[in-house]
Amino acid sequence: MVLDLWFIFRVLVFPGFTFLLSLTMFCDWVERKIEARMQNRVGPKFTGPAGILQPFADFLKLLTKEDIVPRGAKSTVFKLAPIVAFSIVVFALSFLPIDGAAVISNSSFAGDLIVIMALLTIANFLLFLSGWASANPYGTIGAARVLTQFLGYDIPLFLLALAPAFLAGSLSIAAIAASQYLPFVLLAPWAFVLFIVALQAELEKDPFDIPHAESEVVGGLETEYCGRKLAFLHLTRDVQIVFGAALVVELFLGGPYGPVFFGFPAFWYSLWFVLKLLAVIIISEYLTCLFARLRIDQVLSANWKMLLPLSVLSLALTIALVTWVYPLVV
Amino acid sequence: MGGSLQIQPAHLGKASIQVKAESNRDALKLLVEADKNAGIIALTGVDLGAQIGLLYHIRTNGAVITLKSEVPKESPRIPTITDIIPGALFHEREAADLFGVVFEGHPNPARIVLPEDWSENLYPLRKDAKIDNATVKCESSKSKPEPVPPQSDGSLVNIIIGPQHPALLEPEKFSVKVNGEIVKQVEPRIGYVHRGVEKAAEQRTYLQDVYLVERICGICNSCHATCFVEAVEKILGTQVPPRAKYIRTIILELNRLHSHLLLLGHAGLEIGYETLFQYMWRDREPIMDVTELLTGNRVISSAIAVGGVRRDIRESDVPKIKAVLADLKKKMALYRQLYTNERTLKMRTQNVGTLSKEDAVKLCVVGPVARGSGVNIDVRKEEPYEAYGEIPFKLITYNTGDSWARFMVRIDEIDESISIIDYALDHLPAGPFRVRAPRVVAAGEAVNRVEAPRGELFYYVKSNGTAYPERVKVRTPTYANLPAFLKTAEGGNIADVPANFVSLDPCFSCTDR
Repeated sequence: MVLDLWFIFRVLVFPGFTFLLSLTMFCDWVERKIEARMQNRVGPKFTGPAGILQPFADFLKLLTKEDIVPRGAKSTVFKLAPIVAFSIVVFALSFLPIDGAAVISNSSFAGDLIVIMALLTIANFLLFLSGWASANPYGTIGAARVLTQFLGYDIPLFLLALAPAFLAGSLSIAAIAASQYLPFVLLAPWAFVLFIVALQAELEKDPFDIPHAESEVVGGLETEYCGRKLAFLHLTRDVQIVFGAALVVELFLGGPYGPVFFGFPAFWYSLWFVLKLLAVIIISEYLTCLFARLRIDQVLSANWKMLLPLSVLSLALTIALVTWVYPLVV
Repeated sequence: MGGSLQIQPAHLGKASIQVKAESNRDALKLLVEADKNAGIIALTGVDLGAQIGLLYHIRTNGAVITLKSEVPKESPRIPTITDIIPGALFHEREAADLFGVVFEGHPNPARIVLPEDWSENLYPLRKDAKIDNATVKCESSKSKPEPVPPQSDGSLVNIIIGPQHPALLEPEKFSVKVNGEIVKQVEPRIGYVHRGVEKAAEQRTYLQDVYLVERICGICNSCHATCFVEAVEKILGTQVPPRAKYIRTIILELNRLHSHLLLLGHAGLEIGYETLFQYMWRDREPIMDVTELLTGNRVISSAIAVGGVRRDIRESDVPKIKAVLADLKKKMALYRQLYTNERTLKMRTQNVGTLSKEDAVKLCVVGPVARGSGVNIDVRKEEPYEAYGEIPFKLITYNTGDSWARFMVRIDEIDESISIIDYALDHLPAGPFRVRAPRVVAAGEAVNRVEAPRGELFYYVKSNGTAYPERVKVRTPTYANLPAFLKTAEGGNIADVPANFVSLDPCFSCTDR
């Protein structure tokens, strides 16, 4: 019975749903604040201390707005896609070791890296469906762009995620995180850089935010969404960003592990996790502010002509190093 | 041409030629043969009682020559000139809308400024047109738009951009026919914000008209006011004091500065470069503050008056203005570096919407668009007005003709504008800043051109000896540059349409008047 309560607490409160949701809102605030400061603006300011509650207020506001389903839309898909996409990303997040163990303590198994990469793809596909079902030309074009882009960038992302797997000799995300006495960013920096670039494209951020090019496709797949469904679409996007950043933390930055000074290791691990996560988000936001948006054909050719060959090369290099060089050094 | 051509020199301030309607085309051909860079500036219709006068304002060798033809009001017909000068396409459609002139052989004689459901045989700029609620029958039931699904014409898909679209801050509609991602044809429909300023100007005094024309465009407001006021001063023969000329020049250049900064920042937004947008608009603010310091207003400056300017420059303000400009000059170095070095920005703007020099001349484009294609036209050099004849500055041209070249022209022009203002502040003549001008203007007519930030702005003013003008014609730069967009968008990528379009610095408030 005690075990069950502990389990429920872990899933619902910490490090489960409530913690992840608050973390998402917090990261959204950090992102907005950093972007604003980089662009010489103020950013969120009034809701809560330094506007920290602004993402939460925006979410609540959308929840109270009128909820409309366009007449031509495929109602079921249109309504369900945002919720299911959100659930899937949160589900994928619960596989990651956050306070030293995954949300469901013993959920980790050999090969869960593949599962969570697949879940990320499925979530993207659901977002595509949500735009496709909305019976709006802009929504359709935006959705088609999501599909084109993630089909292109999924493959390099996956190939690059294999580099840490080879370094750790395991496909289990917990094992990869735990084996990083030396963070893999130092052992395979090229894979880290390429992974960040591919992730930027996967998460549709500048210079790859083509599905959101408002001057071309208005709101993209969100065009017809409003109210609660839009709130969940936004939340899905934010959770995706947290998920992507968390993936980088687990694969390259040594996961939640770091020095434990006193008290519970779980506290220190969570702290290290959040700090590393913020570092990744700052890098990603820095890139977003630095570049103009590319055109869809430029993105695709950059992907197939540059990123894909580079990620294959990176994988080959990693394997070679793991086989012949690192055993001698480490 | 056997007596069908009468030359009246010194009329209209420029040369003006009276041509019979049937030999109109021959006269035009002669002009075009004489100068291969000749192009049409505007086509002004004037109600002459029993006749409708058609004034073809032609730019040739840096001056304006006006060909005047008359057609009877009962059956106003004249052959089209679009085959000689393709740039006349929109001008003829507008004259057909507002005066009911039929241009025989025009390839697309559809309405352009009036709504589709405007009453037949009601031509608003004719003097006998009675326009009130009783006569204008907008038969909304007849023309109720049917829902238009994306039409498929073989492999062509029709995408409609506008009248409401986030890329267009003002309402106009563009039907873009695309084959896959490639644009095949663009058909514009302007007139959504047509406010009838030309008609309204006839019902107001010259004094009121200065304020009216200023409101045609919020961005280049002083250019409109100056252009109108100069035309009136030409008819009156008023000599503007030199100090006023310098102050006007300063205000005009401030207009150019803030317009160019606005556009260069907005371009960042269109190509998804939000940081550039935020920075440029931040640096535009001090220019607005300087405008306020000088004129009392941030946007619509209301500084230009017939006979001079409304306010003098305080000596104490000069160092403040200079400090702001020096600061901007320093910051422009960063933006120049960005536009010349930033890879993603160049990928989105280079080789996008390329307009060759030949096409630029043929389509009669003006301003930075023409200069980006290597056509060196600038009214400030061709016919120096105000103090431009006395102030040294460079005419900027780029030869590549793409969106990037058009942006670079503006970046260089910002530096030139800063040095123009600096020079003008240093050499400000003493004396009065305004002379009294009569409110009643003797009969006469004048054309005038001003280089607005977007290009050559053209006014034709005809007076009839009262305090009210007989006819005011406005040709705005975007109106002349629109054909260039239609031309350059064809064959390009649909995703390039915003980057291409914004490089023209379109202003529909100007275009529709």
